Amino acid sequence: MAPRVIVVTSGKGGVGKTTATANIAAALAISGNKVVAVDGDVGLRNLDVIMGLENRIVYTLVDALEGNCRLNQTLIKDKRVDNLFMIPTAQSKTKDAVTSDQMVNVCAELRKDFDFVLIDSPAGIEAGFRNAAAGADEALVITTPEVSAVRDADRIIGLLESMEKSPIFLVVNRIRPQMVKRGDMLGVSDVLDILQIGLIGMIPDDENVVKSANEGKPLTFGDESRASVAFKNIAARITGENIPFMNLEAPQKGFFARIRDAFGGGR
Amino acid sequence: MIKLKGMAGSIVRCIIPEELPTADFKSEFDKAMKHSGSILNGARMALDFGARAISEATVTALLSEFVWPSGATAVAWITYDAASQELLKRAGLCTSEPAPREGSRGSALVLHRSLRSGQRAEHRGDVIVTGHVNDGAEIMASGNITVLGRLNGLVHAGYECGDEDSDAVVVSRCMEALQVRIGGKIGSLGRDAEWWGKHVIVSVRDGAVLIEYWPFVKGETESWGAP
Repeated sequence: MAPRVIVVTSGKGGVGKTTATANIAAALAISGNKVVAVDGDVGLRNLDVIMGLENRIVYTLVDALEGNCRLNQTLIKDKRVDNLFMIPTAQSKTKDAVTSDQMVNVCAELRKDFDFVLIDSPAGIEAGFRNAAAGADEALVITTPEVSAVRDADRIIGLLESMEKSPIFLVVNRIRPQMVKRGDMLGVSDVLDILQIGLIGMIPDDENVVKSANEGKPLTFGDESRASVAFKNIAARITGENIPFMNLEAPQKGFFARIRDAFGGGR
Repeated sequence: MIKLKGMAGSIVRCIIPEELPTADFKSEFDKAMKHSGSILNGARMALDFGARAISEATVTALLSEFVWPSGATAVAWITYDAASQELLKRAGLCTSEPAPREGSRGSALVLHRSLRSGQRAEHRGDVIVTGHVNDGAEIMASGNITVLGRLNGLVHAGYECGDEDSDAVVVSRCMEALQVRIGGKIGSLGRDAEWWGKHVIVSVRDGAVLIEYWPFVKGETESWGAP
């Protein structure tokens, strides 16, 4: 399989790009791929915290670009999962510390050693986003079902198309089926009608996501929550598996219902 | 593959597909020049990039390696990428559809696509969009504008009329725009309006912006207030 470089982006901030990057990277590594997640958000790094690797940072991507170390010295190996690595970025620099050409070279270097390179992009459409996307072939666009997030995702998709990224897939995050049912939130079909790109995942709004981010342990490490399953499904679809989309409206079964199902009573 | 297409007013439209990698420009332009023979010599050319973003390097390369060697004159650089439009305008290049040498509005521009947020089409003539015009997209037309999909973005028909009333109209199969501009007039619409999400025609009559069902249903006309 040829190495794949995927930028995870959104336009609007706070929609779950970093969480999605961490969880999808972990799920891809668990399924046997060699994966590196690169924090492309210079000056506002978060990927290290979400992945629980912040206390192991020695060198950053910017150090490598400034010639203070080699690129492979910036790699942090996740001890909990084989084949999962992260490259942190600098917190004390600005977006100008990295150029598009440098990112293209970094991605070319990483392609030699990894099956998947996932780049966590900063929010916005300025240089930070363009640099993060420069070295990628493909894109995952994350949005929440809110009008403002969808409009920004539409803008980003237009820019990604103009930068010749392909394929571009959509992840709709933080879906609340009850709100959709009441007509208080856009449904996934409404979002797809506006954005007109392929859907690769739907993530239900799940408090386990916040908990796992605070603990620095991606959900896909082992949690069986619905959000975790949704992230694992996205990783499987990225590798070409045909996984049906989860029915988010079906109520989550409690402990006793699951036992009943196990004994054949829930069919 | 790059296509060359004859248009009214002896203009040749050079269509550069969005999916064509920039790295392949040179070889594809060489092929186009080879197949076109001497058609391009002395022609007025409109370069159509679709929604592709264009850099300074691309403009320079196209001029020196394609436009000038072919003997053509590039009269228009069409892209729906707003940042590229600004770049081209700063270079003094025309970013709107070329007008025929004579005649008033010119031919219609048909966009077989949706316009995304941040994309912008400007045309001297009528514009027909077969997809949606999303929130944040813009269309400026000296003539009429027809949107067969959903209209969320900003459209300005008859934009060359200045403050005068224009006879241009805006037609939408699904009207969900909060504002429509025709000539020097602006009409605004609320989400709770009867016309929201319906198929409508918007025009200016006696100085007021009017919205009606399309096709016309007798007696169902509403005058929009100025915002």
